[in-house]
Amino acid sequence: MTRIFPPLILLALLILESTATDQIPKQWLIGGMQPIPHWVLLFTVLIAIFYDQDNSIYSLVYAIIFGFLFDFTYTDTLGVYMFTYGLTIFIVLGFKQLLHPNFIVTFLLGFVAVFFADHLIYAMYYMIGFADISWSVYLKNRLIPTMLSNLLFLMIVYPMYRNRLEKWSFEHFTQK
Amino acid sequence: MWSFLRRRALIIILVSVILLVALIGFSMRDREEVSLPEELLKDTIGWVQGVFQVPVRFVTDFFDDINQLKTTFEQNEVLKERLSEYKDLLYEVQALEEENEELQALLEKKDADSLRDYNVIQASVNGRSPEPLWMQQLSINKGKQHGVRPNMAVITAEGMVGKVTTAYQFTSDVQLLSGFDRNNRISVLVQGKEDPVFGLIEGYDDKRESLILTIKSTDKEVEKGQLVVSSGMGGVFPKGLVIGEIESVEMDSYGLTKVAYVKSAADLYDINHVMVVDRKMNSPEAPNPEEEES
Repeated sequence: MTRIFPPLILLALLILESTATDQIPKQWLIGGMQPIPHWVLLFTVLIAIFYDQDNSIYSLVYAIIFGFLFDFTYTDTLGVYMFTYGLTIFIVLGFKQLLHPNFIVTFLLGFVAVFFADHLIYAMYYMIGFADISWSVYLKNRLIPTMLSNLLFLMIVYPMYRNRLEKWSFEHFTQK
Repeated sequence: MWSFLRRRALIIILVSVILLVALIGFSMRDREEVSLPEELLKDTIGWVQGVFQVPVRFVTDFFDDINQLKTTFEQNEVLKERLSEYKDLLYEVQALEEENEELQALLEKKDADSLRDYNVIQASVNGRSPEPLWMQQLSINKGKQHGVRPNMAVITAEGMVGKVTTAYQFTSDVQLLSGFDRNNRISVLVQGKEDPVFGLIEGYDDKRESLILTIKSTDKEVEKGQLVVSSGMGGVFPKGLVIGEIESVEMDSYGLTKVAYVKSAADLYDINHVMVVDRKMNSPEAPNPEEEES
């Protein structure tokens, strides 16, 4: 039963991302500032660190599925978020094997994941032609607000879900 | 599973890059029709979004109401003054409407083929894309079942906000005016003291945050503050939808056309409820079945 909780939470986060974007002050958007919520990505990072066992790839599967759903629901172009989230979680899974799971490591991996994913999204949208801003403008207007808001999100979610994810993981992998 | 993936990491990444390019290419082309799985998935997500919107709306509306309460007194004073003016205007409008009907009857003109007539479909916004600047997209909670079709204009009480790009069974995607480009121009009229001037909205200038309007007839005067409305000549939108006000006028670099920058009348960043405009006169995309038979 508990094994459907992670995808349900991810679905809720996917929809809340859009609700949260509605609440961004108008002046920020007019000024070109755009904090992007990468909550689904951050939660899959948590799943990768605390839910997945050494040889399971649930986080990677979730990242690909919910990345696709993001593309499908919110953008015209399929594949950009799917590929980005998938590749990012792939890298996070690689790092996870080397590091001990604690708050600093989670924070660091979350930072790297958002930094890498947002750059990749910017690069792809730039190549397709949706984003017509230079890298320095991107850095100032998009990357810094995005990093700050997402790390704030991680700090709120980490204490709430760390233990729960470990518990669900235990129930999931010992029942087999 | 993980050890398998890690050993073949390079091949998997290469294959997924190829898949990515194929997917982007697939979704970039313009499609009028959408497949059944797409509709099912989109409508399901739209329904969940609608459920989430209820408590969020409640809270945001509550805070909006409190903010509005603060200014109620001053607003009330202004509105009272306006009210008396509107009463006079109402009589004038009624008289003009009657006169218009009489004149049209005199010309034996049918009501149905007026470019101005349209039905509206009320809809609520399900959500804005979390890519707020690069994807100017909204989803609304009405779809094909309610009569929404692609290319219909979407308006709020203030003016036009965009058009429907894709209609699913119970939800639709809306592209905002700020996401318009050369592929979706709007034929417009600039209303002035003299004859109206025709022009085309050709896109959106991100830096000025205004729509780009080109006017071919350079001898006509266009001024700041004039109202821009849709002309109905493009064949998609009805006549008379308010688009915005002219902010500034310039000659283009060759001196052949005038370029005006139009500030959109509707607030494109704060949209909760919209109306989808169904033009009564047939659009060229949807020919009358009777015409096809003959």
